[in-house]
Amino acid sequence: MLFKRSLLALAALFMLGAALPVMGQTSLPESCGVVRLQYWNPFTGPDGPFMGEMVEAFNAANPNIQVTMTTQSEYYTQLSTAAASNSLPDIAIVHADQIATQVYRNILRPIDSIVAESGINGEDFPEAVWNAGEVDGMRYAVPLDIHPMTMFVNMDLLASVGAEAAPKTGEEFAAVAAALTGDGNNGFMITAGFPIRQIFEMLMYQFGGTSFNEDGTEATWNSEAGVQAAQWLLDAQAAYSEPNLEVDAELNSFKGGTVGMIWNGIWQTTNVTGEGVFFTGIATAVPQIGPSPAVWAGSHQLALPVRADEDPCRDTAAGIFIGYLLDNSVTWSRAGQLPASSVVRASEEFAEVQPQFDIAMGSADYVFFPPSVPGITDAYGPLDEAIGALMSGNATDIQAELNNAAERANSILEQNRATYGTN
Amino acid sequence: MTTANPVLKTSAASAKRRFDWVPYLFILPHLMFFAVFAGFPFFLGLVISLFEYDFLRPEATRFVGALNYTNLFTSTSVEFPVFWNALGNTFEFVLISVPLLVVIPLGLALLLNINLAGKNVYRAIYFAPWVLSSAVVGLLGFWIFQSQGGLLNYYLKDLGWFTPRWLSSMPWAWYAILIVTVWWTSGFNMIIILAALQNIPATLYESASIDGANSWQRFVYITIPMLRPVLVFIVIITIIASFNLFAQPLFMTNGGGPAQSGGGGATEPIMIRIYNESFVRNRMGSGAAMSFVVAGIMMVISYFNFRIFRTRE
Repeated sequence: MLFKRSLLALAALFMLGAALPVMGQTSLPESCGVVRLQYWNPFTGPDGPFMGEMVEAFNAANPNIQVTMTTQSEYYTQLSTAAASNSLPDIAIVHADQIATQVYRNILRPIDSIVAESGINGEDFPEAVWNAGEVDGMRYAVPLDIHPMTMFVNMDLLASVGAEAAPKTGEEFAAVAAALTGDGNNGFMITAGFPIRQIFEMLMYQFGGTSFNEDGTEATWNSEAGVQAAQWLLDAQAAYSEPNLEVDAELNSFKGGTVGMIWNGIWQTTNVTGEGVFFTGIATAVPQIGPSPAVWAGSHQLALPVRADEDPCRDTAAGIFIGYLLDNSVTWSRAGQLPASSVVRASEEFAEVQPQFDIAMGSADYVFFPPSVPGITDAYGPLDEAIGALMSGNATDIQAELNNAAERANSILEQNRATYGTN
Repeated sequence: MTTANPVLKTSAASAKRRFDWVPYLFILPHLMFFAVFAGFPFFLGLVISLFEYDFLRPEATRFVGALNYTNLFTSTSVEFPVFWNALGNTFEFVLISVPLLVVIPLGLALLLNINLAGKNVYRAIYFAPWVLSSAVVGLLGFWIFQSQGGLLNYYLKDLGWFTPRWLSSMPWAWYAILIVTVWWTSGFNMIIILAALQNIPATLYESASIDGANSWQRFVYITIPMLRPVLVFIVIITIIASFNLFAQPLFMTNGGGPAQSGGGGATEPIMIRIYNESFVRNRMGSGAAMSFVVAGIMMVISYFNFRIFRTRE
């Protein structure tokens, strides 16, 4: 472990000199004067101040570009109403699975030339996360971060059964979870609500399945891999967890100190590790249960909204700002995110950000995203319900549930193709 | 004074011919606000329900006639299972919550109408939850009923009693929502009934007592008939309020509630379904059609309400 990490650090050091200053090369022409930019994001949580810090640092370093950051809740509703009143910001954060929908709703505009101008290179990012910013062959967004499914471990409980490290494989996981379960403790806890569908998807990808076909016209979760994944969840629930739990129940139990391991988004790190708990809670990469590595993840991407008053000065300035955020995404990673850029993730600076660095090693290259078609998130509704029904015991026939959900998702996808004219 | 009133001054025949502006002037201030904030949106909603409509994609707006409505009645459509599931849930909630929200406040009002030391304190206590916003009530409900360290199950467990999964299993999720709603809104109904109780002349009770009526007879033959108009009002506004159930399931059972086979959550109310259809799926035409079907149902219910209570008089 130690050897592996120092090797990685060495590799990072080696790459640092060669690769880091690739982005943010252009500068703003003098004729532009001082450009003021509006930047919106949905970071209402403890992550907001980290982003604010980056914006302030950027403003200080670039006197001729002044960025004002606004954090919005009910984010996509805000974007919609701003679009209707033609008051969208210059730069906006958009989630990877929302990009196509926001493109088709006339909220985002293509940024191929701006990306090219600011020297941002697709090869510096994992393919899946880079492709998520592309719709119909045009680029609309560049990835800032990756927020993967993460395993949180109560190391004190693990130590009590003689486990020294968090499990990395299915067998290790099963052994630890089984040893911990009993005496009022649960080795592993899963709910029947969010993020159970995301966990299901992750396992299905590990077993070789996919959620949709490549062009996003058909749901494909009613496959053998899908059944295997759901069966694994039900078995794990029966063996280690309590049945039929509501949303967040696993987090609350984990904080109570009676649960060995839980899986939730990396954004829960400050909530259930470190100062947030009275025991040694750590965050680490999820173990690989199936034969191929796969990790569910979301991604915040930077995009330029449609504006009536587009002008080249603002576009160049926005490109410089985006390049700066990507270059400095180590600061952002401290908020509990993984930098999307592989170059930044390989940097020496990031190697010191823990546990993000370790999680990144075990997950960043294995993330997957839904196909970039508008309204794709709608099609997850039936799958959410099917997995929820199975996990809460309201349904028992896995294949029938997945078939029914796929059928309903297919009609939703068909309806979306008609709605968005993508037939 | 009569000269100021043209209706009284003119004969019945000429009053029919001459248009009289005065009454309309009196309602004009309200009419203006009603027209702008209720009448126009209602009309626009009706128009939108006939279109495939997204306000951000004017290029994609197209007339679809009654399609948004027929979808709701076609069993193979995307909307059919989720719409009727949510509507069924809402009906279930209305049927169970409305009797409770009339009987419990009535009982409380009767209790607080007697001469009791510190009754204003009790009135304030029962009314207090009503001043909370729905979001506060929903969050309180979540933290009381949630299964891992929630207040209620924490104590139930200490007592060695049954600790149901209040928020993730049926029918417990409904009970939790119902308990929170009754606690939240009973005070409002109670205050209205209390005001009506105090308007019943004491002489009626006195003469009934002299005639030898016991307290039960006085309740059934004086209190209830005297309260009827107020009870009609309470029943109607409570039905409408229960139909508009939104924040309690949103916060307590995460919108949908326990997932069930075939589509839609077990505690998903129709208002959340309409919101999702309109602003999450961005299918505002279809959402508007759902709203009008629900509005139609509410109008029919209100009509029967008035009729039932009227024929008794």
